[in-house]
Amino acid sequence: MIRGVIIMNDQGKPRLIRFYEFQPVEKQQELVRSIYKILCSRAENVSNFVKVDSLFGPDVRLVYKTFATLYFVFIFDNSENELAMLDLMQVFVETLDKCFSNVCELDIVFNFNKVHTILDEVILGGQVLETSSSEVVMAVEDISKLEKNSNSIIPSIPGWQGR
Amino acid sequence: MGSQGGFGQSKEFLDLIKSIGECRSKAEEDRIVLREIETLKTRLSSPNTPKFKLKEYLIRLLYVEMLGHDASFGYIHAVKMTHDENLLLKRTGYLAVTLFLNEDHDLIILIVNTIQKDLKSDNYLVVSAALNAVCRLINEETIPAVLPQVVELLGHQKEAVRKKAVMALHRFYQRAPGSVSHLISNFRKRLCDNDPGVMGAALCPLFDLITIDADAYKDLVISFVNILKQVAERRLPKSYDYHQMPAPFIQIKLLKILALLGSGDKKASEQMYTILGDIMRKCDSTSNIGNAILYECICCVSSLHPNPKLLEAAADAISKFLKSDSHNLRYLGIDALSRLIKISPEIAEQHQLAVIDCLEDPDDTLKRKTFELLYKMTKSSNVEVIVDRMIQYMISISDNHYKTEIASRCVELAEQFAPSNQWFIQAMNKVFEHAGDLVNAKVAHNLMRLIAEGFGEDDDAADTQLRSSAVESYLQIMGEPKLPSAFLQVICWVLGEYGTADGKYSASYITGKLCDVAEAHLADDTVKAYAITALMKIYSFEIAAGRAVDVLPECQSLIEEMLASHSTDLQQRAYELQAILNLDSHAVKKIMPMDSTCDDIEIDKSLSFLNGYVQQAVENGAQPYIPESERSGMSNISNFKSQEDHESSTHALRFEAYELPKPVLSQNVPPILASSTELVPVPEPSYVADILQPAISAPSASDAGSSELRLRLDGVQRKWGKPTYSSPTPSTSSNDTVKIQNEATQRDSVGMSNSKTRDVSYDSRKQQVEISPEKQKLAASLFGGVSKSDGRQPSSSQKISKPQNPTSDKSRAAKAAAPDTASVKTSQPPPDLLDLSEPSVSSSAPSVDPFKQFEGLLDLKQDPTPVSAGGVGSTEASDFMSLFTDMSLNVPTDGVLDPMPNVINGNGLGGITAADHSVQQLNKGPNLKQALEKDARVRQMGVTPSGQNPSLFKDLLG
Repeated sequence: MIRGVIIMNDQGKPRLIRFYEFQPVEKQQELVRSIYKILCSRAENVSNFVKVDSLFGPDVRLVYKTFATLYFVFIFDNSENELAMLDLMQVFVETLDKCFSNVCELDIVFNFNKVHTILDEVILGGQVLETSSSEVVMAVEDISKLEKNSNSIIPSIPGWQGR
Repeated sequence: MGSQGGFGQSKEFLDLIKSIGECRSKAEEDRIVLREIETLKTRLSSPNTPKFKLKEYLIRLLYVEMLGHDASFGYIHAVKMTHDENLLLKRTGYLAVTLFLNEDHDLIILIVNTIQKDLKSDNYLVVSAALNAVCRLINEETIPAVLPQVVELLGHQKEAVRKKAVMALHRFYQRAPGSVSHLISNFRKRLCDNDPGVMGAALCPLFDLITIDADAYKDLVISFVNILKQVAERRLPKSYDYHQMPAPFIQIKLLKILALLGSGDKKASEQMYTILGDIMRKCDSTSNIGNAILYECICCVSSLHPNPKLLEAAADAISKFLKSDSHNLRYLGIDALSRLIKISPEIAEQHQLAVIDCLEDPDDTLKRKTFELLYKMTKSSNVEVIVDRMIQYMISISDNHYKTEIASRCVELAEQFAPSNQWFIQAMNKVFEHAGDLVNAKVAHNLMRLIAEGFGEDDDAADTQLRSSAVESYLQIMGEPKLPSAFLQVICWVLGEYGTADGKYSASYITGKLCDVAEAHLADDTVKAYAITALMKIYSFEIAAGRAVDVLPECQSLIEEMLASHSTDLQQRAYELQAILNLDSHAVKKIMPMDSTCDDIEIDKSLSFLNGYVQQAVENGAQPYIPESERSGMSNISNFKSQEDHESSTHALRFEAYELPKPVLSQNVPPILASSTELVPVPEPSYVADILQPAISAPSASDAGSSELRLRLDGVQRKWGKPTYSSPTPSTSSNDTVKIQNEATQRDSVGMSNSKTRDVSYDSRKQQVEISPEKQKLAASLFGGVSKSDGRQPSSSQKISKPQNPTSDKSRAAKAAAPDTASVKTSQPPPDLLDLSEPSVSSSAPSVDPFKQFEGLLDLKQDPTPVSAGGVGSTEASDFMSLFTDMSLNVPTDGVLDPMPNVINGNGLGGITAADHSVQQLNKGPNLKQALEKDARVRQMGVTPSGQNPSLFKDLLG
């Protein structure tokens, strides 16, 4: 199961935090800080995996990758495959890129609710839900369209039939 | 939509982020955030705030909480927003509650009703939003409220909803297995869903279920194999392909499931061989995801009933991984190797040099993985090298968690495979020296026990030698500063028992050393207690031997200090020591017999030796003792109590008054014993022996010899050999078992001593400077014995020393060949853009003002260079997608190929190389232009990047 997804920038500032088991706010901050410390100590051109059993318990690992100024981090246990997680991260970032056309850090800061929406289409409750970025983009566009519609016709959204 | 426009947020939000981005200190940031919280507090609770504004405030609140500040005042507004009819607001509300609340929060109950309603909505997006919330927020108590609807949704028309419903049900199962146990068949049913995505989702819960009980799902083996076959044969729609692999994530999940089902089941395994072989053959090992599948296949093969052909294929794949330049693949290779050596230990041999390379790699992750491999392949023939390496590594790291893990592994390996006691003690010394406070306290006691018990009863000379060498090594080590407490305890104990035993060191020398220890660790009462008891032993051995005791002045002052100690334990020890100093040698011999730690001590719990004294007292008119149970009034209380117990189990609340405190009278345990056991900080058997001896025997001295005290060692794990427990049988029979075990250890050690000689030669060779032969030797000492029969059997270790050279030569040749091929590879242009290297350029881009960079870019626009920033659809500009595929395998970095490094570094889109001919063309328009527009827009909005975060506007993927 995937335990969490974290996006932070290269100064350790969190841009998106999502844990699939509830963590109180202080604990979240502590985890982000410890992970940032670990990632900073990693040399360049080494593997993308780190064992984090000291933070999350036995057999929990994380996969991280830097994209420009951001670290993307997936935390997961031994029911997932490291390389596959790395590719899942790729799917996620590709999707972000498609949804924001040339995604940059500011997109994520200002639209982190939308980033959450995208993430929710990829991972649900700690399990991989969808791995095709075009499917995710379609789902997210559906949602955006509907949100737009409902914006113009506040108060209700009656007859919108999705099927 | 927001993302396309000016980020869709208000000026206020932009300003907030801007000012936080420009903060120079945490305090400044906190101040800004606190001001923001105040604003949000008033605005959120104001009744006049328009709804769409509320939404933004909520998002700002989420942002504030993400930065680590308390936002609990706004939770209720998030809950309220989930009730809204507007989908946008509703979704924001759901997002906020899923991030804010845990499943046991009081407010959840206010959302359940909304979720119920939304699950019934005829808009599938509303249903999806509700299912997302269900996964996160529903706890055991509220599951029944939504369960019927979720089950109903398993049959929803829309596959996205079915998928999420399966996940939600899975979540319920994780949270409270009992609540959905009757619905588990639904997961099986969903396996036959028309939509492959739903089927894939159903694999997740099935994987969990099979992990718990594989036998109940053996009937599905054929189905899983069939599904896997269909996937591998590309029968799924094209949309499930990922990097030219058919539905790789489903394949991986299926392989994991098959591994569980086929483990230890020959029949099931046989059904899987064909498809596994097919997949491994077809796997595209140039792409990341292809390797992920390959790795999963190896894991599966290694857990199935062995099949030679597949094992061979797996070994091939492993060697490919290990030879790769990518750390990720080498990491997987090492991991796969450690799985496979369980079945075919001989394959480790071909990879010895690769393994040693990984061991010396700067990548910590890889190193740790390699140590795990070594840990798994340790046997008596290579234990010395491996433990030595592990200790070296343990010393070099600072992470306490991992230090502890490695230290306990060293101890475990040393205990299991130690070739000689000397070596064991030395290894333990090192572990203690560097991680003494991190290892389990038991380890210290095991060590003391080993030194006390030695090899066995027959070989006293070896025991004495062992003890002398232990004493010697401790006298050397103990001068060092900052020794861990546990180690000092061992040192004190050993010096006390055996410091003067061989006559090499005088009593005054040893006592002086012990005083030094006690004085150097004034804050550590346990060490001081050990030291003073050791002093007591030394003095009493001297007295018993009839020599004059000469208490050093520093010892005298130490004892005096202890007599006034705040710790009653230390006080008692000091008084006992004083008492012993004044006794004659005969009495001391009785109290402190030489080298008696291994003897059993019998405790006369009925205190029968006092009978005469009691008798006399009664005759002199003392009141006879009445047992507790017979005392008047007592029985009532105990009856009342039992009744009370019964009642309290039936009622949750008690309204009666509490019963009177019951006096605890221990009639069975001698009071002195009780008090001294209470003082024992660590209730470890050998420690107890240490303290009890003087404590108990002091009073019995007056009663000279009327009882024989023995330490009870029932149920204590034996140190050597297989983990057996000494039985609580009478001492004669337990002596027999000890003898048997000792014989066993001896037999082992005979075999081990052979490997010892080999290792000496290894050590001498190690002095040579050249790296590669040293590596080879390391390889030989690690793997040399692998191809022979298991090193644990004594006979095999003799063969080890010689035949290692040919194999290592061979692998040296292979090693020499490997760099050649690698260099050939690097000089070639990448054959396929799919395996581009890491985007290292972007991270190493100079951090200058991005606007300058952009200006430079604008100039370039007019330049007639092929990299025209605005070039729509030009291959150079638009193929940044190739970066996506950058999970590097073995190809050079971008910079090498890049004909125009300046342009690339200048605009921050480092991944774009003119040489790239896009494989995956995306009709996405000119991204440089877009980036510029975005930048201009941001500047208009007044958000300027500060010097602190110059690369704020850099494209993520560039």
